Amino acid sequence: MSLTLPHRPSDDAARSLPTSSSSKSNGIPRLSPSPSFVHNRSVSNSGLSVRGYEPNLAAPPAFRPRKCKSQYPRDSSERHVEYILVASFHIDRGPIMEHQYPAPISGDESMLAELMLPDQTHVRSQDWTIFFLHKDSSADQDDDDSVGAKKKKKKSKASHGGDGTGGSDEDQDESGKEEESSDDEDEGGEGPPLMYVLNLVNTKQDHTVKRGAVVKAMAICTRHSFLHIYKPLLLLALEDYFKNPYLETLASLYNALNAMDLSLLPKLSLLERQILQASNCKDMFIEKFEQMIRQRIESEGESSDSDSPASPRKPAAKYTLPRDTHEFESKIVYNDIPIPVKVPTVIWPEVVGDFSLIKLIQTFSGPHSTSPQPFPIHPHLTTSGPYTHPIIILVNAMLTQKRVVFLGHNRPSGEVAEAVLAACALASGGILRGFTRHAFPYTDLTKIDDLLKVPGFIAGVTNPTFANHPEWWDVLCDLPTGRIKISSHVEPAPITEGLLYFQQQAALNHLHASNLNSDPTGDNLFMEDVQRSITNRHGENAIRAKWRAYILKFARVASAFEETVYGASNLYIIGPNEELSPESPSGVQADPLDPTTLRGHGHVWPDEISKQRELMASVSRIEGWRTTRSYYSFIQDIAAIYYPTRPIIKPDLHHHHERLRTLKLSPPEAGAIYIAFSYAVKDYAGICQLLTVTPENQAGLFYLSMGLFHPDQTVREATVDLLERISKHPAGQHFWNQLNRFAKLAFFRVKRERDASQSPISGPEMGFGAPQSLVGVAMGDGLR
Amino acid sequence: MGGQVSKLMGKIFGTKEMRILMLGLDAAGKTTILYKLKLTNQEVTTIPTVGFNVESVTYKNVKFNVWDVGGQDKIRPLWRHYYSGTQGLIFVVDSSDTARMEEARSELHKIINDREMKDALLLVFANKQDIQGHMSPEDVTNALQLNKLKDKLWYVAPSVATEGTGIFEGLAWLSNNVKTPAQK
Repeated sequence: MSLTLPHRPSDDAARSLPTSSSSKSNGIPRLSPSPSFVHNRSVSNSGLSVRGYEPNLAAPPAFRPRKCKSQYPRDSSERHVEYILVASFHIDRGPIMEHQYPAPISGDESMLAELMLPDQTHVRSQDWTIFFLHKDSSADQDDDDSVGAKKKKKKSKASHGGDGTGGSDEDQDESGKEEESSDDEDEGGEGPPLMYVLNLVNTKQDHTVKRGAVVKAMAICTRHSFLHIYKPLLLLALEDYFKNPYLETLASLYNALNAMDLSLLPKLSLLERQILQASNCKDMFIEKFEQMIRQRIESEGESSDSDSPASPRKPAAKYTLPRDTHEFESKIVYNDIPIPVKVPTVIWPEVVGDFSLIKLIQTFSGPHSTSPQPFPIHPHLTTSGPYTHPIIILVNAMLTQKRVVFLGHNRPSGEVAEAVLAACALASGGILRGFTRHAFPYTDLTKIDDLLKVPGFIAGVTNPTFANHPEWWDVLCDLPTGRIKISSHVEPAPITEGLLYFQQQAALNHLHASNLNSDPTGDNLFMEDVQRSITNRHGENAIRAKWRAYILKFARVASAFEETVYGASNLYIIGPNEELSPESPSGVQADPLDPTTLRGHGHVWPDEISKQRELMASVSRIEGWRTTRSYYSFIQDIAAIYYPTRPIIKPDLHHHHERLRTLKLSPPEAGAIYIAFSYAVKDYAGICQLLTVTPENQAGLFYLSMGLFHPDQTVREATVDLLERISKHPAGQHFWNQLNRFAKLAFFRVKRERDASQSPISGPEMGFGAPQSLVGVAMGDGLR
Repeated sequence: MGGQVSKLMGKIFGTKEMRILMLGLDAAGKTTILYKLKLTNQEVTTIPTVGFNVESVTYKNVKFNVWDVGGQDKIRPLWRHYYSGTQGLIFVVDSSDTARMEEARSELHKIINDREMKDALLLVFANKQDIQGHMSPEDVTNALQLNKLKDKLWYVAPSVATEGTGIFEGLAWLSNNVKTPAQK
């Protein structure tokens, strides 16, 4: 394991060079840590608001391509696959490990062999399983050390950060670097990354052997969460192993897998990843793929004739652009057979393997809709009463860190594993963490004692004896019947400060959750919407996007809850000019000279009563969540990703866009938002940030385009500027293209009117040096 | 099996359920017994059980939920997880495997000394009575030291699982002696 994270020399010098192949020059992947990372975190944690950090003002107007980095550089020492294992069921001794390549994996071998041979594997000829390894044995020592070394280097780099020569290029790079540091954070917060194991077991009836059958399993151990792409390879290799049960069979698979070339897969920033994920556009960020190929061709030109950079280029024919930028196509050549594989471009935390949220939701929605059964009341779980939707029960259970078991008696173990992985993604939404790390996609009785030591696990089992042990779980999800059970042994929810607060409020205001609204949490409505989407075949991606929005909203409601009850929230970093007081309502401009100082943050409710109602309905699960791992790692994440995801820290784009979307604002209120956005959103990263709050499935740029119909001409023209900038943005152009014709016509009309009236709006003060529409600037200059 | 037993049982018992746990050393014949019960009059070929099998068998108005758990020594410690709620233990012994009779005795006594199993009926199948050199049911009784057991209802039934001989007689003994109604 000492090979995994080697010494990485600083390549600051290399970065200031123009786009030459700096990675080639030192032979080390460019994974430098961020100089600003340590500092940023301490600042944001200390509760001080923000120091002068306004990179977007200095940033150039054009979206100059910077050097694209690869997600999986060719010269990286991180292997795609770390181990290949083979286990078999010995008729006298039970499961045993037969072979391991390239070296014995540390840890309990017999435990591994048991996992590789799932219960009842003798009744089916083939079974897939997934399980995770927390490598915490001696081999991991090296891992930890190298992570530590990385951190140390990070600090030493921080001390001499900011060489200042790079100028705008440096600034552009900034987000990328912080990006990486947030990746580091992923592992830093929770220990070394998990090792994912994809396992295939085959049972072959064979009358020539004692007791009539041979059961063998082969497993691939990888740190990649997209382990499902290796399935066809594992099928071929296990078949080979039955014929040639030697270490060489494992070795040839290992070498084939690690020879897979993903080096042309560009690395995207966190904002870019969010945009790509939320979009159905098949050529979103295609320019980055083009650039990777261009860089490769350049570097190949140099390497073939290293002295002259102007050497003849090789034809680009051997590199092809992806048909859909959401996945990267590569191939694995095993035994001279090329097997195509598709690697996801965007990898979210907590999304492992291929599973279907739709399948999970349908499994547990069907029986509930045909014959609903009441649940015993538990404040954390039954948030909409005894007939709470089972999927909401499941999500509540995971958010409040209950012990969740998926039971699939007589089902392949792969099926329970898939349900566990889907549940993790459901509760995470790609936002919260800490679920997969405590998930056991497939486990059995042999591990029960260890399992019970884990607080709040998510486990998949096929053994129905789990149903007879309600003391082992809090929530049992039975896959064959599609029913969810709450254990009689579940710990009661404690009385908390927030709960008392809201009970007092309710008493004072004569409010009562039950008689106000049948669906105060909005969960019933949400589930209906999800099921409608499923019925209308909107597809897995649409459902995942809905859940992402649901979890995001949960976190934002929780933040509002904390502010209400405790006066401040751990879940929101207060921006500049922002105050946490009721006297500072949304939409007030703190500094009359600076339109971007628009106050307001967080989730938007139409009025105070609906806010109180929703908060009251959510008290228990929010309070339940506030003591869990996912809550604490979310607080860490907020601090870590604050700068990478918020090139624009004022105003709160998400909040104000939500106001445009959900509230009936007066013209001056709405106008202030359009003007603030137009002032604030200028550069590449800023537009990316804006695009993350205007996803396609939430009407895209529609609400922004409404500014084109504002009664005030200044607002209309500011909106034109903003939309024009977006339409020239590599990602923004796709959003622009999806805007309806009506809005586009208005855009051109407003633009024409402005040009005709020959009065570019508030030119010098507006721009902070950045141009508005080029036409406007040219005409303004020419006519003055 | 005549109508007599059936009539008798129909009188005494309504339809009831009984949770049965079937244990024994590896290759004793547990799975064969289970599937002879389930699929009467069919040829049964089995392979080693990885983990467990569970089947419901309805016989003479009694629904037997029979758990058959793999017998390799490494997985025997898991047996205890199946104890709770068990009303009857079927312990299967390979009567021809005299060399491992002591091992079988030791495992059996471990099981029935468990607190959760104190009320369970004990049915021992002295299986593989068709193989040369097998022990008789009496020899098996002695080898397993069943006479030492106090406060325990037990019965040894000779059987040839592959032919289905003796199996239903054993079940009949269980259903005749079950006292407490099933939990579920």
